[in-house]
Amino acid sequence: MRVYLLCLLILLFPTAAHAVIAKQEMRPGIPASAEYLIGERNKPAVLLLHGFLQTREFSTVATLARGLQDAGYTVLSPTLSLNIPNRAQSLACEAVHKHSLDDDVAEIGKWVNWLKSRGHRTIVLVGHSFGSLQLLSYLSLNPDPAVKAYIGASLIEAQIGATVRHALIAQLEGRIHDKQRSLITQTLSFCKKYTSTPEGLLSYVRWDQARVQAALKQSPVSTKLIMGDEDKTLERGWLKALQHMQVPMVIVSGANHFMDGSHEFDLLDHTLKSLQAIQQASSP
Amino acid sequence: MKWPDSISIKHIALAFITGLLVLTSLIGGFAAYQTRTVTRSLEQHNQDAAQSELAAAVQRLLSQTEEQAVKLAYWDETRQQLVLPEYYAYWRDQRVYESGILNSRYVRVALYGKSGMLLAPSPAKTSLPARLPADTPPHQSSSWLVDEAGAVALYYAFPVYSDEQRQSLLGHGLIRLDFMPALLRQDTLHFTDISSVSMMLKPGEKLAVPDMFSRMDFRARPDPDQLRFQTILSRTLLALFVLLVVTALLGFVAYNRLLVRPLGRLSQVIDAMQHGHFSSNPARSQTMRISELENIRRSLYDYQLQLRELHGSMEHQNREFHSQARQDALTGCHNRRAYEEDWENFRQEVKTAPQGVAFLLFDCDRFKTINDTYGHAKGDRVLTIIADALVMALRANDRLYRLGGDEFATFLSRTTPAQAKQIAQRCQSLLDASTFSDLGIVEPVGISIGIAFCAADQLEQIDDLPKQADIAMYTAKQPGRNRIALYGEDTERASQTLVASRETSALFQALATPGMVEMHYQSIHSLPGCKVGYYEALARIRYHGDLIMPNAFLPVVSSRRLETEFDLAVLHQVDADLSSGQLPSGCGISINLSAQSISRPEIVSHLLELSRHNARHPLMLEITETSLITQMVEVRTYLDLLRTVNYRIAMDDFGTGYSPLRYLVDLPVDVVKFDISLVNKLGEDNRAGQVVANFARMMNDVGYELVAEGVETDVVLKKVASLGIAHVQGYLLSRPVPLAELSARLAVEETQTTCSV
Repeated sequence: MRVYLLCLLILLFPTAAHAVIAKQEMRPGIPASAEYLIGERNKPAVLLLHGFLQTREFSTVATLARGLQDAGYTVLSPTLSLNIPNRAQSLACEAVHKHSLDDDVAEIGKWVNWLKSRGHRTIVLVGHSFGSLQLLSYLSLNPDPAVKAYIGASLIEAQIGATVRHALIAQLEGRIHDKQRSLITQTLSFCKKYTSTPEGLLSYVRWDQARVQAALKQSPVSTKLIMGDEDKTLERGWLKALQHMQVPMVIVSGANHFMDGSHEFDLLDHTLKSLQAIQQASSP
Repeated sequence: MKWPDSISIKHIALAFITGLLVLTSLIGGFAAYQTRTVTRSLEQHNQDAAQSELAAAVQRLLSQTEEQAVKLAYWDETRQQLVLPEYYAYWRDQRVYESGILNSRYVRVALYGKSGMLLAPSPAKTSLPARLPADTPPHQSSSWLVDEAGAVALYYAFPVYSDEQRQSLLGHGLIRLDFMPALLRQDTLHFTDISSVSMMLKPGEKLAVPDMFSRMDFRARPDPDQLRFQTILSRTLLALFVLLVVTALLGFVAYNRLLVRPLGRLSQVIDAMQHGHFSSNPARSQTMRISELENIRRSLYDYQLQLRELHGSMEHQNREFHSQARQDALTGCHNRRAYEEDWENFRQEVKTAPQGVAFLLFDCDRFKTINDTYGHAKGDRVLTIIADALVMALRANDRLYRLGGDEFATFLSRTTPAQAKQIAQRCQSLLDASTFSDLGIVEPVGISIGIAFCAADQLEQIDDLPKQADIAMYTAKQPGRNRIALYGEDTERASQTLVASRETSALFQALATPGMVEMHYQSIHSLPGCKVGYYEALARIRYHGDLIMPNAFLPVVSSRRLETEFDLAVLHQVDADLSSGQLPSGCGISINLSAQSISRPEIVSHLLELSRHNARHPLMLEITETSLITQMVEVRTYLDLLRTVNYRIAMDDFGTGYSPLRYLVDLPVDVVKFDISLVNKLGEDNRAGQVVANFARMMNDVGYELVAEGVETDVVLKKVASLGIAHVQGYLLSRPVPLAELSARLAVEETQTTCSV
């Protein structure tokens, strides 16, 4: 009876049947997990990264992961630990942020390696929002050769509000130099009171629009951006700046930063199109 | 216990109202008792509810704490602190509250590593332990209470794992909260008196949560609705009671006004009617608001009107009857009954208003003779004329009373003896001026008047006035008087008659008691030789050892018209004496009788009975003629009858009194006894003595046997003897002696008195 019931579940939920939670210890005492959605072996594996302080359960990411899996792609959707063991919840802006962009990049590298350990030789990095920035940061630091392409949705720099970036950077560097360990509260991205260590904050603050653009230009893999023209979180002129760089980019009309609603399908379609193009380009 | 015969309607009303109030009080008391029962039930219910809600509150607090513990255990930042505790204080003091997991600063949290040691020291005021209690289970939550300096703290320890599968234990969290404030801050305690909730813990004592209720003390909060309900009920009961009392009082007042008072008035009217008092104007009496009572009142007043008319008619008739009852039908003046009433009232009246009082007693002279002579009709007419004359003579306010027969009386107020005498004289003058010739009465008609006076300072003697007037009347009646006598002034024997009350008592007692009349016998001597011819029986009254003489009681006999009764007593005693045999045979006895008694059948009958002694003792009847013989025919008839049984008839006291010659002519007299006044004339050598001597001689020649009374001197004795008078009697020869003494004398034959004539 139980066997029949399991078969019925597999027939009704074929996707669920191909989902696995993968775990790794990123640092001592800091395990992290990722959802591994198994697709077709002949298609590139997608490493799909969530936005700032979010998890893989974030709606835009989760929907996109399901869509990609449905399209036959293997998707690994990790949740960055942010130096929290088995982090499973979105981290509050006011929480103690002891993580840095370097930690995030290191975890991305671990997950790329994890995919490679599973036999995936063609890996496409797909990120949303700040995840696109973190993936771009990964690409800028000797990425694994298995990584063949990069798709950034709603790419955004590390916004710090009205704070003068270089002054902030100088202040943070001074603190680090002085070994002041007290927490700093600063506007970062959508957080008005982002509380972090100076090192952690500094790692993010350095990624302004220029550095992003430089990383895009210097990307060792093909890149593609999917942006919404109704994305209010973006700095004014960011889209034009990107267009001016002539980076391959799709602008979804009417889509906001999260590309929710009907624009989820636009994001999926454009992602799939990019993946198909990547697959065709990489196929012998 | 005796119930009253009748109960006042007011008492019934009072009893009803009292009963109503008592009933109300009982109902109120029962309601109060029921209310108290319900109140206790509600209080118990409140107590149960308080316990339930307190238990629920505790459970809710525990659940909330447990929920907070679960959130903390599964919170990423908690795990972060157990791994990277560099900013643990920030997390402990800020993040747990900013995140909303802990909602109050009263709740503190601390994290302990797997070794049970606190990650970092807590602030001193939180007093979180530096190490988890040793008995804390490593993989389970546990909670306990600790008394910390009088404040009860709730601790909740929970494990924190690195993974959802709870395989990798990172450490423990410990939540501390001030139990009582946290418990009581809940707004769900409606039945519990918050101020009364306390936990009975010793300082530093640790108590497992499941044992909490055994140490918890609390009270239920008074239910405001219940208190309001009780207040409303109490006020309602009080208001109801007051309302009932007021209503009862008003009802009683209304009942009193509408029913009791009208009934009382009706009762008073009926009582008044019962006592003969009628409302002067019943129609004007207050109307009654109760129609039935008003009907009764009207009926009663109609009845009262009829009764009043009937009563008026009866009063009128009564007055007439009373007037008639007090009026003498013949003369029109007041009768004896009126006299007795008026005299009694007058006596009482003068005692309160002292004044001189005179009592006048009127008696027509020789009225019997007039009546017998001219008939009753003319006699009555004489009485009418006398009454008219007396009324005219009296003062305006004086009343004339006819006491009986020809006797009238009046009593004068505010007068003096002189005025009384003056009025008496005016009475006589007016009567003298009256003419009786129209009635064919040619002889003069006069009245004798006895007057008794009592001065204002001697009113204690007022009761003696009638008797004194009677005595005065007796005096006035005496021959030779001027027919008006004032007691004390004109009564020669006033001193004797003053004691008449004693003699009167003796007389009446003697008449009622045989033997009290004692006969003394005085010898009557024949002339010449003075040999005892026979004895005259003379009456005395033996009273308390004293001997009362005839001159003392005979006026009473006469005034009281007791001649017949007295003569009967004398005859009884003479009969007894003769029957005793103490007198020798042949000893004659002479018995005195009043002229009035001779015409009495009972006297005659007794004389006939007494005549049986005639064989041994020749009997003689001496007719006293000081009083008028009014029934001459009857007297003659009876005397003739008595003579047939050998009685001899003697005319006593000849020479005094009324019409002696007529009596000698008309009556069968054998013996004539010259009165002592005539006898004394014999001793005088003058014309009067010559007349008496010649008259005696003439009488003797005609054949009358003469007896000279009162012979006390030899001169008189010789004179008597010279005139040829057959018998003499007097102290010169012998004094009256009692029967025993006479018997003794006769036994020794000492009675043979001799004389020289």
